[in-house]
Formats: sequence, structure tokens, C-alpha cells
Amino acid sequence: MDSRLPQLLTPFLKYLGGQSITEDSPLPALGLDSMQSIELLFAIEDTFGITLADEYLNDATFATAGTLWSAIATTMAAEGGGVTAL
Amino acid sequence: MSTPAATAQRPRSTTPSIIERTERVAATVAEHARRTDEEAVFPVEALTAMRESGLLGLVVPVEYGGLGGTLADLLDVAIRLGRADMSAAMILTMHCQQAAAIVKYAHEPLRRGLLRRIAAGEVYLASVTTEAGKGGHLLSAEAGLVADEGSLVIDRFAPIVTGGAHADGFLMTMRSPNAASPSEVSLIYADRDQVNVTASGEWQPLGMRASHSGALTLKGQVPEGNVVGEHGAFARIAQDVFAPYAHLGWAACWLGTACGGLSRVVDLIRSPAERKRFDTGSELLLSRLARSRQRIDTVHALLRHTERTIAPLSDLSAPRHQLQLNALKITASEQCYAAVNDLVEALGLRHGYLKDSPSMLEKALRDLRSASMNYSNDRLLLADGRLVLLDKGVTLA
Repeated sequence: MDSRLPQLLTPFLKYLGGQSITEDSPLPALGLDSMQSIELLFAIEDTFGITLADEYLNDATFATAGTLWSAIATTMAAEGGGVTAL
Repeated sequence: MSTPAATAQRPRSTTPSIIERTERVAATVAEHARRTDEEAVFPVEALTAMRESGLLGLVVPVEYGGLGGTLADLLDVAIRLGRADMSAAMILTMHCQQAAAIVKYAHEPLRRGLLRRIAAGEVYLASVTTEAGKGGHLLSAEAGLVADEGSLVIDRFAPIVTGGAHADGFLMTMRSPNAASPSEVSLIYADRDQVNVTASGEWQPLGMRASHSGALTLKGQVPEGNVVGEHGAFARIAQDVFAPYAHLGWAACWLGTACGGLSRVVDLIRSPAERKRFDTGSELLLSRLARSRQRIDTVHALLRHTERTIAPLSDLSAPRHQLQLNALKITASEQCYAAVNDLVEALGLRHGYLKDSPSMLEKALRDLRSASMNYSNDRLLLADGRLVLLDKGVTLA
């Protein structure tokens, strides 16, 4: 998981309480809610320079930091950005 | 549906069909609808009829003694009961929503025992999801469960519980034990004898008066096995079961209410005693009747289409499915109310506005006024706006 992802996620997780974000971190339980989905999507797309396809925009993608990272990484590879720091 | 050949070969069954059972219950509902509305009391006779007819077990699988009805069957029943009384239709629909959650998510041995009792008509389930101060947020909970040596301690106040005073069991949302956030919500079942139930406040609403949705305090202790799904699973249960059963089921109740109104209006206009009072050549009357019917057909089409779209799906989280379900709820709540409002305008003061008219439009309009607020349309529109932005391709479900 790219270190930019935990950094990007932190402001959306109001119940994180200083824990560190791992691939298993459950995003909804940590405070991510659907009302913030647009802001989060824009943050991801701006940070990684990608456009997430419509089919990724479901609960399975946003379940954990790891599932979200997998969608981002796949998109980066497909868009030719290349994944550097796994 | 059976082909004629299949029907001919099958031995004649003495078991009444879902439709026959529903007709019997609808007759009891209709008989008491005016009184339960006037007195703002729960339709006890209708609930008894639902217990005795097997309708409480409508969505319970046949192996547990239930009728094994599908979501489409529930919509048929809700429309039929809605024609007679919206409160009674909503009472059954919400019970079936709770029962469907037990079918899909409860663990053994709770599941088997409870489903058998529901099918036998012994358990009418009430839903306890409202909470003071959370502004209608279904997916969060303030009151927390406390784990105590294998059991869970419940202390829960809910400002609105439909039929709470008459329920034999409660499915309630509470914050999971040791939850890190209010969004870790568990769904818990409690039998009436496992909790002390205290009703408070008065129930004097504009409409839906027979739903008797007063405030309740529940205190008690249940075994850990009464957690439906697992701790924290309520968000998934809400998306898989509660939301589709609520939006489709409510829309069917509202549609039935509008159908009942229009049907009684047509009866009235065509009755020998009243037909001279109406000018059936009036373009205004004809246009208003046409508009009312058009709204009803629109809601019906959207209701059936949405049911067919979501019935085979295991994951409803994609924006196009959420948008479709929400569109059904918003459209049905607006259009069913408007359909009855058209009829009020069409018939005028005597039969459109007075309580004692056989059209019962006055009651239907009051009942349907609740629809936009029964899970607020304003809240759904905000959610929808965000979902629209997540579906760039505007994929149609």
C-alpha cells in the first residue's frame, strides 16, 4: 500500500483515534460514511492522477484500506501510471 | 403462474393460497379501518387475522411452516391490504421486513425456533431503529450493548416504534459492545419476556393513526446468540434486507392506498344513487381521473421493475441500484399522495374532503402524507445527489 493512501484517508476516519492504518483497517467502522464519498473520490483521483471506473464504486472497494488500494493499484497499472511503492 | 395443463393435473389443494389468505385479512382490516383511525388505536383484530391466516409467516420458508412467499408476493399482499388501510398494510410489511432479516441473518438455534413461532402466528415483530438525537440516521446508534458473561444488557429508548405495545418480539439496533464508533451497529433480537417494555407519550398523529407508533423503553438481558448477523453487521443487513424491503414494501402499501381511493371513487361515480351528481362529460373530472390513474400506473411500473432488478442481486451497493431503490421510494411517496390529491380535487368538498364519504379520500390523503417523511425524502435526495456523481456512465438498472 502506497504511503500516500493512509495519509489521504486519515481526515475521513474520525474514529481512527491515533491508530495506524493497515490494509485490514475497516473503513466504515472507522468513520468513513457514504456522505463523504465524493470528497474521498476526488482526493484519491487527485493524489494518484487516476480516474476510478464506475464498477469500483461499491461497498466492496471501500471496505478496507487494502481493498481500496487494490482498486487504485489496478487502475494505475491499467492507465499506465505504474505502481512504484507497494 | 401455472399453465392450464399443469393446473389440471395437480390434485386440488385444500391449502388456501396467499391471495385467499390476504383477501380474508383484508376484509377484517376494512371492517375496523374507520374506528382504528378515529381512535388512533392499533388494529388488534387485523393482527389476529394476520396471525390466524398465516400471513405473519409470509416470508418464512415452508420448511419452518411459513408460506415461503417471495418479495414479489409481499408486494401483492401489501398492495391488497393498502387498498383497505395503509396502517395495517405497513404493520404487516414492516413485520415481514424483520422476518426476512431473521431468515437471512439469524444464527441457529435462534433462527429455527423463532421462524417456527413467526410462521405459527405466535410472534409479531416490531422494529426498533429510531433513537432520540440521531436525526433519522438509520446506520448509527447511540445506546450501547454491554457484554456481561455471555449475555448482552439492553437499555434502549426509541421515540417511534410501530406496533411496539403489541409486539411479541423486537429487532433493535444498538451500538456494538466496545464499539470504536457509532457506526458499529449490531442488530439484536429480544423476546417480549426478555425485556421490560415501557410505553410513554401519546400517539395522536395526522395520519397512519392505526399504526400506533409510540415511544418505548426496553430494558433487559438477552443471550449473545440473539445477535442477528454478527456484531457490527447492521450496515450490511440494512443494505441487503431492510432497505429493499422498506422501499419496495412501503411503495406497495402507498400504491395500494391510492388504488383503494381511486377504486372507491369510480364505484361512487358509477353508483345508481350518486351518478346523477357527477357530470361524466366534464373534461375537468375526466382529466383529473386520468391523471390519478396515470400516477398509479407509473408507480406500479417502477415498483415491479425495481423488484425484478434487485431480486436476483446479492450486492445492492452499486450506485445504479441504490439510485433505483431511492427513486422508487421518492416517486411512490410523491405520486401516490398526488394521485389521491387529484381525486380530492375531482370530487370536491362532499366526497373529497368529508370524513364520512364512502370514498375515504380524507383518510387516504392523511395516511399518504406520512410517505415523504417515512425515511425522509430530503435525506434520500442528498444521498442520491452524491450517488449520481459516482455514476458517470449513467448506467440504468
